[in-house]
Amino acid sequence: MIDVHVHVGIPQAMLYHEFGSLWADFFRYADIPVSISGETNKQILDRGTLLGVDESCLPLKVYLGHVESLLSECTHIFVPRVVQYHRNFHFCAKFAGLPDVVRNTFRLSPEQIISPNVEYKSSVNQLQSLYTTCQAIGLSAVPGYLAYRRALKSWRADVPGDSGSSTPKIAVIGHSYLLKDNFFCGNIMNFLASRGIHVITPNHVASKVLYDEAKVFEPDIYWQLSAKIAGAAHYFCRQHDIEGIIMVSSFGCGPDSLVNEYVEHHVLKKSDKPYIIINIDEHMGSAGLITRVEAFWDLVKWRQKS
Amino acid sequence: MEAEILKVTYPHMGYLNIPVLNMLNNLGVEVIEAPPISKKTIELGSLYSPEGVCLPYKINMGNFIESIDQGADTLVSVCGAGKCRLGFYNAVQKIHLAEKRQVQFYMLDTNHLFSDLYRFLRTVAPRASRLVILKNIAMGIKLLKALDAMNEAKNFYGARTNSPEQIIDILRCGTQELANSTYTKINFIRDFTISSIGAICGNGQCRPPRVVLIGEFYLLLEPYVNHSIEDLLIKQGIEVKKFVYTGNWVYSNTLLQALGLYSEEKAYLDQAKPYLNYHVGGDGLKSVGSALRCARDGYDGIIHIYPFGCMPEVVAQSALKNIASDYNLPLLTLSIDEHSSDVGIITRIEAFADCIKRKTYQH
Repeated sequence: MIDVHVHVGIPQAMLYHEFGSLWADFFRYADIPVSISGETNKQILDRGTLLGVDESCLPLKVYLGHVESLLSECTHIFVPRVVQYHRNFHFCAKFAGLPDVVRNTFRLSPEQIISPNVEYKSSVNQLQSLYTTCQAIGLSAVPGYLAYRRALKSWRADVPGDSGSSTPKIAVIGHSYLLKDNFFCGNIMNFLASRGIHVITPNHVASKVLYDEAKVFEPDIYWQLSAKIAGAAHYFCRQHDIEGIIMVSSFGCGPDSLVNEYVEHHVLKKSDKPYIIINIDEHMGSAGLITRVEAFWDLVKWRQKS
Repeated sequence: MEAEILKVTYPHMGYLNIPVLNMLNNLGVEVIEAPPISKKTIELGSLYSPEGVCLPYKINMGNFIESIDQGADTLVSVCGAGKCRLGFYNAVQKIHLAEKRQVQFYMLDTNHLFSDLYRFLRTVAPRASRLVILKNIAMGIKLLKALDAMNEAKNFYGARTNSPEQIIDILRCGTQELANSTYTKINFIRDFTISSIGAICGNGQCRPPRVVLIGEFYLLLEPYVNHSIEDLLIKQGIEVKKFVYTGNWVYSNTLLQALGLYSEEKAYLDQAKPYLNYHVGGDGLKSVGSALRCARDGYDGIIHIYPFGCMPEVVAQSALKNIASDYNLPLLTLSIDEHSSDVGIITRIEAFADCIKRKTYQH
């Protein structure tokens, strides 16, 4: 019997941009009311900056802002702990501590947080996570499992594809929680679109391709999301129709601080493509950002001519 | 044909260099030790490091550069894949060091430290017998544990005397003696040093305020980087309790772990509940676990020290804030980067010491 008061909130930040549709569909198929916090805005960012530890990374601060915006209407917040789901890869410490950070920041009781623990890629772990989730919202196991199967099926069917076009292409590489968040990368994307440039991101390429590309970096890179980024850089550098590469990372991102350097040395410098690395933080003045992208685009055009 | 002699070097971390140097010398390995960490080390290291990386990376880099300049060509360091950045250090350090000179990296993985260390010693000291190598590893651990015990004694007695400087001096002499000692003499020097420290203290009836010092491994163990925070505190008459000691760590991560008797995660997981329920990489869980244990034991304050931007400690901090407010304990958070000046740290520690003393006298 489902508790009538259950209302689940999912923050639209961090891993939502990878698995969001799976999570949301699961609750919808199980007939649980679910709210998504929506696009990041200035207020969410400001609240997150206030709530978070000063030096934590930008995505984590934003995540806290999203959680806060959900607290008034939702009874449960869905904060999965994803640490590892490929055998050789890890996620960074922030993901491993996400449920604890949320609980400590808002002083929530354990019942208010649904945090399945995804620690190994095994069917047992999948079932355990599913069971934790069902338990937390008072859903019995069988309908929960069916809803999960259905959500998983539609999530898997949703394969990314690139609408190939002949216009000049620029690859924008970064964590999906930055690229898919309009608040962070909207400026860059809009600028590129206004110049008639076709933007391609790692999200347009099947993950499998990217992880295969990243195999050359084993065993150096052990963060899963970073491996994806490095794989994407490696992949895009070999595509002839891509004219330039923009790497976006956020201030305070631990893995990026080293991986960017690594990718720059091993991939970007070795290719003949122009590239730029952009670091964004909570001071969102767009002028500086646009100027740099403009200058970069000028460089790309100049290369095309010569 | 005689193989070219390897000139080994390693980064500094507290007194870890004493047993390492001793061990390598005994095995006949040529060692070029980096000069002690100085302002120049940090500047050099920062110059050749990515901007946003954490302080231990930059200092390790500075150590490597300084010893390469003196002719070292084989670098030893620890790594270990996990949630923290440590495991990725060498992949990026190699890039910058290769610009200076062709060097060889030997990585000791923390997940199987014992076998890696053994294999490394076999490579750099091919002539030493297996037994000699094992004996030297044992001696290294014994030395480290003796040093740990002496430091703990300093923190205990130093806070209970009027002349902490004298105790710090005795410790310094004892440490020097240990550096040149043999296996059989280690225990004697340790006991002698501890009893001389105890003698200065007298009967030691008073009960000084106690704080627990937690945080990131490297920052806790390297006095240059943490501005000798323990000495500063005992000079203020405050007892410092630390749960992270090099010897203990090496002992449990080599011998016990190799025998399957020890798992760091499990040991601290129960302690940190309910503030942290999962392992968060690095020393985050340990920091929260030790802080909570001490809060329950009636300590008078918490000092949390870590390099700026350290991922696990940032996660830990959200829990520590709550522990501090739930148990009504003062919490001093020191986030250290390459720009931290002496004065800023000392002033904050002094102010914190005053705050704690006032709080304990009121009761």
